[in-house]
Amino acid sequence: MFAYDDLFVLVVVVSAFMALHLENATHAAISFAVALTAISALYFDLNAPFAAIFQLVVGAGTIAIFFLASEMFAQKGGKMQSLGSKVAGAILAIGISIPSIVLDIGKIAFVKSNGLSFSSALWESRAIDVIGQGVVILTLAIGAVMVLKKSRKEG
Amino acid sequence: MEHIVLSLTLLMIGMYGLITKRDLLKTLISIELIAAAASMNFVMFSSIVGDQLGQAFFILMLSVDTSMTAIVIALVLVSYRELKVSDAMELHKFKRDRDEK
Repeated sequence: MFAYDDLFVLVVVVSAFMALHLENATHAAISFAVALTAISALYFDLNAPFAAIFQLVVGAGTIAIFFLASEMFAQKGGKMQSLGSKVAGAILAIGISIPSIVLDIGKIAFVKSNGLSFSSALWESRAIDVIGQGVVILTLAIGAVMVLKKSRKEG
Repeated sequence: MEHIVLSLTLLMIGMYGLITKRDLLKTLISIELIAAAASMNFVMFSSIVGDQLGQAFFILMLSVDTSMTAIVIALVLVSYRELKVSDAMELHKFKRDRDEK
């Protein structure tokens, strides 16, 4: 029977493929946003609510940046992609998604759970990583500001 | 375990984009898809085993991936603003011409 997760899998594969196939950068960014949202829904379906919410929040930020960048690129103007090409891409993507819906490679039984809750997994097992992650994000912010500021000065 | 096939499919789509597309934005989308395919495994195995450590790793991976995306998109925007180029090959040509001079 066709379940919800099969629908999410279909949407993920089709929108991911269309994000690369569509020539218009804005349409590609919208398609990529749909893919990230469907991945988030899939995580909810896998009983991973924290991962789903983080994926949704981070995806929203990523897509906002992609959308602005694609608007900038779209000003160039170029040849229009034909409707036939878009439909052919969508049909090909549906074909590619079939193995993900139909195939199931079985169960694993060799890993034993250590029964950690999410907060203890994050703060007791990976506390140093979380602090390191904060440093990485701070470095990113400084790096992005430096790159953009330097080019503005030179311009 | 059916989502392993989804992860592989996303990986293949990302590889296809990396190999065939020259547009810098499409290349970045391909890299994002490959990262999403890799991080999906953390969540999937965490869900199967019933252990939350996979989700913690996923969040760490997501933040590093987002950092990388922000830096790369800043570089793409700068290259477009300075050189009016959004094609990887054109960018390579600029570099080669500059080296020859």
